[in-house]
Order: sequence, then C-alpha cells, then structure tokens
Amino acid sequence: MTHLTLAALCLAAFAALALAMQRHQHTLFDAGLPRTRTRALRIAGWGLLAAALAFAVRTQGWSLGLVAYAGHISLAAALVLGGLIVAGRRRVR
Amino acid sequence: MKSGRPKARGLRQTMSDLHIWSGLLLGWLLYAMFLTGSLSYFRQEITQWMLPEAPPPRSVPDAAQAAQRVVDALGRVAAPGSPQWSIALPDARTPIVSAAWRLPQPEDDLLSAMPTLGPSFVPSNAVPVLAPPTLAPVLAPKPVPGQALNESPEGMPEDTLEDMQEDPLDAAPGLAPDPLREPIVEEARFDAVTGERLAGPAGRETQGGDFFYRFHFQFHYLPLQWGRWLAGLAGMFMLVAIVSGVITHKKFFADFFTFRWGQGLRAWLDAHNALSVLALPFHLMIAYTGLVVMMLTYLPWSPDLAFSNGGRGQLAKQMSAFLSVPPRSHVAAPLAPVAPMVRAAQQRWGAHNVARVIVALPGDAGARVVVARGDEQRVSYSPQYMVFDGRTGRLLAVREAVGPAAETRGVLYALHMGRFADGALRWLYFLLGLAGTAMVGTGLVLWTVKRRARLPEPARPYFGFWLVDRLNIAAIAGLPIGIAAMLGANRLLPLGLAQRAAWEIHILFIAWGAALAWAMGRPAKQAWIELLALAAALLALLPIVNALTTDRPLWASLRAGDWVFAGVELALLAFAALHAGLALRVARHRSKEPKAPPRSASPRPSPPALRDPEPQPTLREAAS
Repeated sequence: MTHLTLAALCLAAFAALALAMQRHQHTLFDAGLPRTRTRALRIAGWGLLAAALAFAVRTQGWSLGLVAYAGHISLAAALVLGGLIVAGRRRVR
Repeated sequence: MKSGRPKARGLRQTMSDLHIWSGLLLGWLLYAMFLTGSLSYFRQEITQWMLPEAPPPRSVPDAAQAAQRVVDALGRVAAPGSPQWSIALPDARTPIVSAAWRLPQPEDDLLSAMPTLGPSFVPSNAVPVLAPPTLAPVLAPKPVPGQALNESPEGMPEDTLEDMQEDPLDAAPGLAPDPLREPIVEEARFDAVTGERLAGPAGRETQGGDFFYRFHFQFHYLPLQWGRWLAGLAGMFMLVAIVSGVITHKKFFADFFTFRWGQGLRAWLDAHNALSVLALPFHLMIAYTGLVVMMLTYLPWSPDLAFSNGGRGQLAKQMSAFLSVPPRSHVAAPLAPVAPMVRAAQQRWGAHNVARVIVALPGDAGARVVVARGDEQRVSYSPQYMVFDGRTGRLLAVREAVGPAAETRGVLYALHMGRFADGALRWLYFLLGLAGTAMVGTGLVLWTVKRRARLPEPARPYFGFWLVDRLNIAAIAGLPIGIAAMLGANRLLPLGLAQRAAWEIHILFIAWGAALAWAMGRPAKQAWIELLALAAALLALLPIVNALTTDRPLWASLRAGDWVFAGVELALLAFAALHAGLALRVARHRSKEPKAPPRSASPRPSPPALRDPEPQPTLREAAS
C-alpha cells in the first residue's frame, strides 16, 4: 500500500511536469497551454515530488525511504514517457 | 546549441568522445554484467525454479526449529572434527536450509580456528564472523604460512556455499585455484521442516541463480582474481561513461520525456537517453557501489597505510567483526541446544530476520555459536550478531554497531545488493537493472547506427565496424539464447550426469559461442532476426519444457498461487515476447540505401557522434 501510494504520487508529479512542457502540450493538445496553467502544473509537479519524498521518508524511514523513492521516481518517469509515446502515436494515426 | 561558445562545445565534444569509447570498449561485458546482475536480484527465486523437486513452501519455516534440526543433522553428516559449521537459515525466499562445514585440516590444532588473514595479521584465536557480505571468510582456508596476504575477506561478496571453495584466498593473485587441491569445505542442502538432507532428485545438482550472481562480478572460466579485476575495470568504465554521458547530453531536462518514434538515429538516441536519464539515480548508485563492494580487491594496499599496525587485518576486524574463540580444548562436550539461541535472536531482531547460525569448534568444550542478523529492512551490510557459549548456551556478547567508516561501506554495499528490499522494491531494482541493460544495449547499437550510414560500402564495412556489429549481435541476442539454453539444460540433462551443475553452465557458453559464430557468419540483419527469433523461441519453450519434465506446469502453479514458479515462467514469456517483438521490428525495418554520400550536405569534416540536434536526412533514412 505504501508502495502504491508512493508510485501514484510520483506518477502524478511527473505527469504534471511533462504537461508543463511545451513540446508535450503540443503532442497532447495540438496547442500550448496558457502560461499560468503551465506554471501551476510545474509547481504542482515539483510539489508532488517533494510530497512523495516526504511520504517515503515518513513511512519507511530515511534509509529505506530514500531507496524506495529513488526507484519510484525512475519508474514513474518511465511510465509517463511511455504514456506520452502511446498518446503521440495515437494522434499521428 | 546555437550558442557561439567554442570552449563549452569543446568540453562537450571531448566528453562525447570519452563517452562513446568508454561505453564501447567494455560495453559487451557491461551488457552481460547488467543482465546477469539484474537476474541476481531474483537469484533465490531462480534457484527455486531450478530445483523443481523441492516442494513449494507453504509457510515460512520456523528458523529456530530448522536451525536445531540441521545442527542435529550436521552432527551426523558433517566430518568429525570439523572446526566450523555454517547454516544459512530458511526464509520466505529460501525454503531450503543450506549448510556448509569446513573439513578438518592438520593445522587446526595449531590455530584452533580459521583466521582469514595470515597468522601475522590476526591473533590466531580470532575468527572472522560472517562479515555479512560473506560467509567466505568464516570458512576461508588458511593462507600458506609465509605467503603474502593476497586477499581480504572483502574480496568475497558472497554468501553462497560453493564460493567458499573458490575463495580468492585460495589462490595467489592471478592464479587459478589449484584444481587438484583437496576441497576444504563441504556443503549440503536440508529440508527446513524435517531436517533431512536433500539428496537425489530433490537435490538436483545445479548452481541455480547463484551462477548469474557470480558471473556478474567474476565471470566464468577465468581465474577469480582476473575476473574480478575485469569486472572492476568494466565498472570503472561504466562510471566514466555515465558521468561523461551526462555532460555530453545537451538537453537533459528539455528532452526529459522526449522520444521521437521511428526516426532512426534520433529514435535510438532518444531511447538511449531516456533509459539513461530516467534511471540515472540507479545507474550512478549501482556503478559506484559496485566498485565499493570490491574495493579491497581493487585497492588491496590502502589499509596498510591507513592502519599503523596490522593493516588489512585491522581493517577486516573492523568490517567483518572478529570473534575470539578460545583454542580447541580437546575436551569433548555436547553442543547446547541451538533453538533457544535463535529464539533469543528472533526476539531481538524479528521472527524472520535471523540469517545464519555459525558453530565454531562443534563438539569441543570451547565451542561458540554465532547467530547473525538478517538483512530485512536494514540498508546496511555491517555485521550484527550474538555470540553464545556452545557448551552452556549462555549469551556471551552482542554486536550491533561498527565504526562510521565501516558503516558507510556497509550501507553502500547493501545498496548494491538490495537484499533488504521487500517485494515491490525488489521489482524496482530488477526493472531498473533491465533499464541499465537496455541502456548499454541501445548505446552499443547506436554506435553502429551512427556509422552505418557513413560507410562508403555498406555491404563491406571496415573491420572495426564489422567487429562491433557482430559482437553487438552476439552480446545482445546471444546471451539470452545462452541463458535460455542453460535453463533448458537444467530440466533436460539427466539427473545422474556427472558434473551436472557444471554442464548446465557449459551449455550456456556453448550456446552463446554458437550464437557468436552465427553472428560472424551471416549477414548482419539476418543474424539479428534469426538470433532474436531463436532467443524468443527458446524462452517461450521453457515453460513448455517445464510442464513436460516436472509436475509443476505453469497452469498448476498459477492455480496453486505458487508465485515463484509462475513468476519465473511469466517473466520468461515476457522476455520471449520482447525478443519476438525486436525480431519483428528488425525484420520489418527496410534499410534504404543512402543514395547520396551521407555527408555531402554537411560541411563539417567529421561529425561528432552524439551531437547532431537533427540528424542528416540521409542518416535518418538509413537508420530508420
């Protein structure tokens, strides 16, 4: 359960960070998002990453928490990348 | 990168070259190290799969009872006069008890125990107690008196039994252990519930997943010392490649989530970048800690400088915790019950967190019993143990802390091994290891993709290109073939075959070598397709072979909820699908012969490899 929550937090964080990037906004919505929304997404992304770290350390202690966090951010980033690839391919068709 | 700052460009260019060549030179080794290292995170599970006759564990066996039963059994089984027994207790991942005992040596009476380091370094009555990295030191043979100390206990990141026979202490540096030498350690597997020695079919002779683990840092058919030096060299190159790669990477954050599909070189580069960047914390950690794990193998003399007296002996004492054992009293005395000692340890560290019982001088009045803590939820490898009087069962000492430097090493060590990990974390380690494997693989392929388009005569490349191309095929498609062949051999070789465990491994290398020969003899594209398809077929066949040769087919495992067997086989099928997908992609790939000389459009004389923001159209075509 801890791992699931952690994974969800990291996934949401990277999704927000990816959405805050112009290139991926164009992939997903054909147009860029307004600047305020982009900034909000970026803040949310970093905030969620920090929250995930706090959650990991709180639930598993510093040593295990940091290890789990390092693993989960990599996995989540890879999943977001995979999602963007799929979304991009869909739109091309 | 339009900026006109020649200095920065120069640095990046240098780093790019460094990255390319450090990555390429040992890339094939790194690929094999990454793949087998990733598999090692599940080595207990792989071992279980390779021992199909042992029943699936229903519940975690009680460690205290198992310890007592196996100690009782060792009293009958082990050589009389053995100076030391070591028992790896069962846990959720290892339902079998492995035990090893040291054979009595003539000098035992002299030294009474087994100092890992020569008599000149350690008091003769000191026993290194399970430096947690390793059991090896405990049972390590004594160096020949007068022989220079050539290895530290550190050189043995191993706690499996076979390795005790292969401990580098056996050999002078650079020399293979003498095959004619009498073995100094014997081992056996025991049923955790009944305490019966597993023999015959249930003891199917195999190295199991331990092979991957050992190959990962010392390879095979090589003198251990050479293998470990080679692994260290590869690790160092890996670290260099990672750091130079990060510097080379132009748009670390801008391209963070970027993958441009189907554009040949661009796609390979994006894939390589994504695999490297997204898992960067893991890659950095694993390369660095890998070197730390073996640091005393690579820098054996530094402790002599750091400690004024005793050098390596002092260091080993710090890191692996030595236990003073009184000399053999030559008064026979029965061993006190071991179960209460394990219970005491369980109370201290948790019911499933006792890893090992070591009995020094069993049967002697001066016997000592050491109960060592497990790795569960503890990101450190520093030794923690309780020492009991073997005759009275009285607790003599508890050791739960080491100095800060030793603890730092313990933590880095544990990070590399990941044995503290629970299920989810173990999978993360495994997946990130595979990402590293793919990072090395894409990097190797990138080297050829980049250069293929520039070949004046693509059909007849220069030797260096040809060699890299073929070695890539053999490493990337060949190793899975070898692994699948080995797993198949585990099921198909006759159980009574002499040297069965060794033959399983020979078959891996025979298949791998055959793949190399095939890659050399066929056109590159055909070789890729054929070998990837063969790997897919062999991997997919394994569950079928298992269903035919054991009574634990995949469907039964799934129904019974036997996730070790089902997991291994589902993973094999997933790998089969991956290789089939790759084979299909290569087969569909239509290489367009570059019509014009690839570089005609570019004024640059020698295009830097990883720098093109937009590949030349011809490059793109040729590689897509």
